[in-house]
Amino acid sequence: MKTTATIGKKPRAHNPVPIRAAPNKGKVHPVLIYPFKQPAQYSDLEALYEMVARLGRDSARYARPLTVMDRKTHYSKKADREFLSFRENTVARYSEIVDAWCVDTCQMWNTGLGKAFEHGKPDDVYWLIPGDFDYGTSVGQEVLSRLHDLPEIVLELDQDVCIGEIAADHSNPKQLIDTYGTFALLYTWFPDEAEEIRQFTERPRSEFFAVRHSFLEEILAKRWYPYEQTVVMLLHAVSSSKRISRFCVGNISDLPEGKESLASAIQQVERTERVLKSLWRDRHQAEKDWLDRYRVLEVQSEQVRRAALVVLGNLMT
Amino acid sequence: MRAVNFVCNAPQAKAVALVGDFNHWDPAANPMKQMPDRSWLLMVELKHGHHRYGFLVDGVLTLDPRAQGITRSDKGERVSLVPVS
Repeated sequence: MKTTATIGKKPRAHNPVPIRAAPNKGKVHPVLIYPFKQPAQYSDLEALYEMVARLGRDSARYARPLTVMDRKTHYSKKADREFLSFRENTVARYSEIVDAWCVDTCQMWNTGLGKAFEHGKPDDVYWLIPGDFDYGTSVGQEVLSRLHDLPEIVLELDQDVCIGEIAADHSNPKQLIDTYGTFALLYTWFPDEAEEIRQFTERPRSEFFAVRHSFLEEILAKRWYPYEQTVVMLLHAVSSSKRISRFCVGNISDLPEGKESLASAIQQVERTERVLKSLWRDRHQAEKDWLDRYRVLEVQSEQVRRAALVVLGNLMT
Repeated sequence: MRAVNFVCNAPQAKAVALVGDFNHWDPAANPMKQMPDRSWLLMVELKHGHHRYGFLVDGVLTLDPRAQGITRSDKGERVSLVPVS
């Protein structure tokens, strides 16, 4: 059965974030994650900060955006005039820069979401926006035009978290990693939660999401992992019966394939396994027989990971 | 208000209705019309925002596989999401 809903005649306008009257609800806190590695071209970041500038003009609806910038990024470019100019005249103009030393991107998330949370109120929503995306391309423009839906869904439909999903065909490396790595490992360590997560999204590692104040408060109070934090957040959401939505923010099937290297894919699968093992131990180590169960799962997990690496090796080289 | 076309391709179905927050999930409110190609069509006017909906295909609540989003209804059923801007 094939079904669809389409807006009559006028397609959804691309890019401009609609400026609307402020609802009688919370504010949206945009949290931008500046790319760790400064791109040679600024066109993608310029497109992103054009959107951020529009958010800033709707102060009734949006809090002042935050941009988390790793100090390593800053210091690696401290003599680069173009970078310094962009930082001062664009990033700092349209957002508050949060400079932080971070071991990985998820620590940047933790820093930004945590800082925004400290300024937030119980009805507010926090909106994570990764900076390392091709926003200057036509596909990126489409994503930019839809990102604002994520916090709006949380606010309008009283959700706890809304995951932004980028649709990709089955041969896309990100999809391959999630199919053969992420979900295979999730089903090993957390089978019930994996089933529930898969009912909502095929991309549980998405970097696009919006989260309600009360749920962010819960996850900030828990252990924060250095990577694959979206998977951790979804596991918390499912096990505490939170209201989850998924919204498609674009389609990257038009982009050239092969962007992810096999080495990067292997690293992502290994990281996912490491996080899931840690999380499983955190949850079960108080139980009497946890070590025996852990050893069984660890053997299965290693088999799954090895199989994933073989499959990815075959499909990505 | 914006006109939104809903299409459900269930050629074997005897009756299909559109249900959602906008009609209080009333099965009688928005029956869909079967088209010559046997798909079911209905255009409804929706206000700005995000709407939860589903298709009742011979009485069974069915997700729209092409919907832009997915969430749960107040009853906890998985339902589709459509944005209207």
